[in-house]
Amino acid sequence: MSTRDSRPGSTGGADVAGPLHGGPDDDYTPEQLAAMPREELDRLGARYDGVEILHVDPGPEPGTPVERRAVRQVGLTFALAGLAALAFVVVYVGSGWFLPDWHWEITDSGWSVLFTPLLGALMGLAFILVGVGLVLYTKKLLPHETAVQDKHDGSHFDRVTTGATLVGGLHDSGLARRKLLTRSLAFMGGGLGLMLLMPLGGLIKNPNKGDPLGTTSWAEGVRLVRDDGTPIRPGDQEPGSLETVFPAVPGGNRESDAPTMLFRLRPEQVDVLRPREGHEDFNYGDYVAFSKICTHAGCPVSLYEQETSRILCPCHQSMFDITQGAKPIFGPATRPLPQLPITVDDEGYLVARSDYIEAVGPTYWNRERI
Amino acid sequence: MSTTNPQSDAQPDDVTPRGRARWSRRPAEGAPAAAARARRRSKHRRRVVNVAGLMAALVLTGTLYSALSPAYATDEGTTTASSAEAAGRELYERSCITCHGENLEGVPNRGPSLIGVGEAAVYFQVHTGRMPLVRQEAQAPDKPAVFSDEEIDQLMAYVQANGGGPTLPSGDLRDGDLALGGELFRLNCASCHNFVGAGGALSSGKRAPSLDDVSDMEIYTAMLTGPENMPVFGDNQLTPDEKRAIINYVQTIHEQADPGGAGVGRMGPVAEGLVIWVVGVSALLFGIFWMGSKA
Amino acid sequence: MAARTATAPGAPTSRLGKVAVEFDDRLIVAGPLRRTLNKVFPDHWSFLLGEIALYAFIILLLSGTYLTFFFDASMTEVVYEGSYAPLRGVEMSAAYDSALQLSFDVRGGLFMRQIHHWAALLFVAAIVVHLFRIFFTGAFRRPRETNWLIGVVMLVLALLMGVTGYTLPDDLLSGTGLRIISAILLSVPVIGTWAHFAVFNGDFVGTEIIGRFYIAHVLIIPAILLALIAVHLLVLVKQKHTQFPGPGRTEHNVVGNRLFPAFAGKATGLLFIVFGVCAALGGLVQINPVWLWGPYNPSQVSAASQPDWYIMFLDGSTRLFPAWDINLPGDYTIPALFWPTVVVAGLMFTALAVYPMVERKLTGDTASHHLLQRPRDVPVRTSLGTMAIAFYVILMLSGGNDVIAEKFDISLNAMTWVGRIGVIIIPPIVYVFTYRICLGLERHDREVLEHGIETGVLRRLPHGEFIEVHQPLGPVDEHGHGILAYGGAPVPKRMNQVGGARRAIRGFFTPIEEPSRVELEQRHEDHGQAAAESARELTSSGRPADGGRPQEPRD
Repeated sequence: MSTRDSRPGSTGGADVAGPLHGGPDDDYTPEQLAAMPREELDRLGARYDGVEILHVDPGPEPGTPVERRAVRQVGLTFALAGLAALAFVVVYVGSGWFLPDWHWEITDSGWSVLFTPLLGALMGLAFILVGVGLVLYTKKLLPHETAVQDKHDGSHFDRVTTGATLVGGLHDSGLARRKLLTRSLAFMGGGLGLMLLMPLGGLIKNPNKGDPLGTTSWAEGVRLVRDDGTPIRPGDQEPGSLETVFPAVPGGNRESDAPTMLFRLRPEQVDVLRPREGHEDFNYGDYVAFSKICTHAGCPVSLYEQETSRILCPCHQSMFDITQGAKPIFGPATRPLPQLPITVDDEGYLVARSDYIEAVGPTYWNRERI
Repeated sequence: MSTTNPQSDAQPDDVTPRGRARWSRRPAEGAPAAAARARRRSKHRRRVVNVAGLMAALVLTGTLYSALSPAYATDEGTTTASSAEAAGRELYERSCITCHGENLEGVPNRGPSLIGVGEAAVYFQVHTGRMPLVRQEAQAPDKPAVFSDEEIDQLMAYVQANGGGPTLPSGDLRDGDLALGGELFRLNCASCHNFVGAGGALSSGKRAPSLDDVSDMEIYTAMLTGPENMPVFGDNQLTPDEKRAIINYVQTIHEQADPGGAGVGRMGPVAEGLVIWVVGVSALLFGIFWMGSKA
Repeated sequence: MAARTATAPGAPTSRLGKVAVEFDDRLIVAGPLRRTLNKVFPDHWSFLLGEIALYAFIILLLSGTYLTFFFDASMTEVVYEGSYAPLRGVEMSAAYDSALQLSFDVRGGLFMRQIHHWAALLFVAAIVVHLFRIFFTGAFRRPRETNWLIGVVMLVLALLMGVTGYTLPDDLLSGTGLRIISAILLSVPVIGTWAHFAVFNGDFVGTEIIGRFYIAHVLIIPAILLALIAVHLLVLVKQKHTQFPGPGRTEHNVVGNRLFPAFAGKATGLLFIVFGVCAALGGLVQINPVWLWGPYNPSQVSAASQPDWYIMFLDGSTRLFPAWDINLPGDYTIPALFWPTVVVAGLMFTALAVYPMVERKLTGDTASHHLLQRPRDVPVRTSLGTMAIAFYVILMLSGGNDVIAEKFDISLNAMTWVGRIGVIIIPPIVYVFTYRICLGLERHDREVLEHGIETGVLRRLPHGEFIEVHQPLGPVDEHGHGILAYGGAPVPKRMNQVGGARRAIRGFFTPIEEPSRVELEQRHEDHGQAAAESARELTSSGRPADGGRPQEPRD
């Protein structure tokens, strides 16, 4: 080596490969490679990648009936795929132009009902035919080879040398010795990590402030109204009926915890009425009102069987008996549906006497405490 | 505890007109029992015109006033026996008396009293084939009607004459606001009968029946009378207009085609899950079997 | 490279070749590309299951992107004025409104929405089937535990993807699902209400949740999934694919087809077939007709409200779980809902995730495995697997037990009790049953290896006994017993699996091959009946002389 070569970044004017250059280009000259047929080159490359081609079952011989038949099959499949794709384009573009309109109306039974199914059938057909064609091509026309590739375990040499590099870097940093540096690094990492977590605090809201889970819009004197806002007189409902009612406040019929079921009981039901303790005067005559929100998972429970006095939840099939204070009698619910105390105001309309005296909806951790 | 409702005898005449800001509505029709009991039916029933029916209508006029109060208006003093009523009585004694008693008063553990249930209840129960009952079950199944339309009219006349009760509506039963019907259906009906009226399971072997292939009049009378476990939707709770809107919605979505291909029963996720496994995954498994097989 | 000039030997002369050289001059990709093209993939139908999931995910990305052009993830109240008459004039959220617009007022919008939903169902289904294949063949064993873990995480993410997507249209069905999600969040002990308020920005339902689920559904979860899919595939390529045992297959090689062209051809074909199946379903079978469900309203519900099939097991466990609130001192409660949802799901996925580690501990097998096992050869694992599947299926069916009760006229209460009892006693029965079947299959394999294949040929021995002639699979010892050992590969059980039958003549309606030519080919290829006939000495009846049985009956 000359002195000039020792300068970093300089090759002394000549483009010479470094000492570590090598590999297949050194083993095979361009001339040698040029002399090899394509199959041999293919196998050479494969062998270089650890792949040995054991057995090649050539595809059908050109010109044989088998080949002609396979080509016809594959060709037809692709052609049909193209046809289906074009038909898709025609249906998509043409509907409402030279074909009937694609807009569907509830009274329609013609083209607009066929529009989406046609799109699906044609696009599905096009894609499936392309796929089938490709597979047929591979199976019937390409040679079948059996190749074996070697699987190597990790190299011991690689492990040792990589380990040395890593340990060397760590050693040079001196972190093992410089305790102060290690500690300050750990402190910095912890601080930055915490700092980055802080913006998530914007998501946190206190669920106990104002007890939003335990209160609804029902309050003393709030009328029971239907979905359209009309108030209810006790004479409006037949015995054995159910009406979903909402508090007469703005947006009351969209509130998630307010929906309430107002029942007018049949005389037979009234006879067996056994309210929960402390709820004895919550009814008004033969009217009782229970929360519509299931105490299990919050679904609206309104499958009312008036002969059996049962309320069934369609989500998990909890059953409640409204003559026993909506006590759960089957299924996963554990608590009775909260009962709304009701009465009639001066004008003769049903009103609530207060909010529910317990939290409405699914049970949660500190429900009993609030 | 008080078992009588202070205002339960209120007449429907003093119902507050229900304002509906969101829905454009036609002016409310008169009470359903009005219109001189013309007893017009839905289309297919309109064909059944017979003397007995007209006679029955005439008799019913006598009970009109009491029928205005659909619930508890009991009027056992009716003694005018028309031929329809008499024929109804005969039918009753042949087929119903075992469970409902000699004078419609009911038999404990067999059948309820029919006093005051009205012709609407008779229409629903007999026309859908639920009555007469073959055997006591969790729920009376619907089946082809046992009685002819004429016989049903006679039964209706007999029951209506003995205690009154809700009567059949008149006019076009689908004459209602479609979107309002949808809202009311989802609020009051879908919980048992499903979004699309496919029906659903209730407790202990009972079920809310499917609303496919039911007539307008059957839906109307079911809402009006609350058969078996179904709650009653009296005319002060769901006005006749609202009932018509619901019927319009139910029949419209039942009749409308599915724009997105085969409806698979409009069952939602259960049917869709079945389809993806039975059709989708199976088709693809078949595909990869075929791809793996030798040419 | 400087050495490669136009005149150098082997330099490309075609235009395409020149372009390729220009490309490689800059990026040096020829080497890596060749290594990739030469990669060998074993050929077995069950190795394509994961690909189905991958392709379904691609469909989800493409169709989902399309849907975002039209979907408005907002809970602002609007009045619908679109073309679906039964909802015109109804108040609804902007999200539901835009889902309706997409379905009725966008050309092909309904089609794309349905493709997206079907592809989602297929995505999870394909993942589950793929997981079964991995589990029952032991493909999760060392060194592939990492990929198993990634797979389990992706399954969970796929479920989250499904749940968030199911919620977006804000129809009555999805809103009911959202209400249950809210209740599940609330049911978590100690932090439940805090978690709920963090996710929903307050009490149910608030105004934020659709927007938040939307970002989770279209950005956060897909990004994580995409990254994990990349890692999953990289690890697969790095570790090379497993293969079933067979001739020439060892722990140190992979026998199959090279990526190019055979494997690439089939894989691309499968891509199109998966696309096609989703497109066909998307057009031909209606899914989630949100217009029939109506807008979400907290006071409304429908009978038979169910989640999509992959969440149905949680709905089922919730239906079956008894009403057991746990009341703690200090008036704290652990709601009954917590156990069948958070705990059951948590335990199920944890058990799934740690299974490879548990099996390694229990069997003490810490070696690397690249050869797969046949399920019958590992009866305990196979039985555990079927037991878990039985458990899962019962929960899933219970998730639709109201529909079953309604359709088959069974009492709903009875269905619940059948589920409650079934989920406890059926899985162990399935375990025992599977174990027996595995042992039976194993024994039959050994029997065929020892005595040979039943040929169906009956023979009468000189003293009058009838025996069935057996064809040994390999060399036999002095007693006539096969000496081939079981190698973990399928044992042929019928004569035509060992070339005992004539090769089919091609052509469906008319033969396109001359029968004589087929026989010639068979002789040439040295297999099949034709080859056997020419090679073997035949008895007068045309059957092999040795017959796989000793000439004298054993005592």
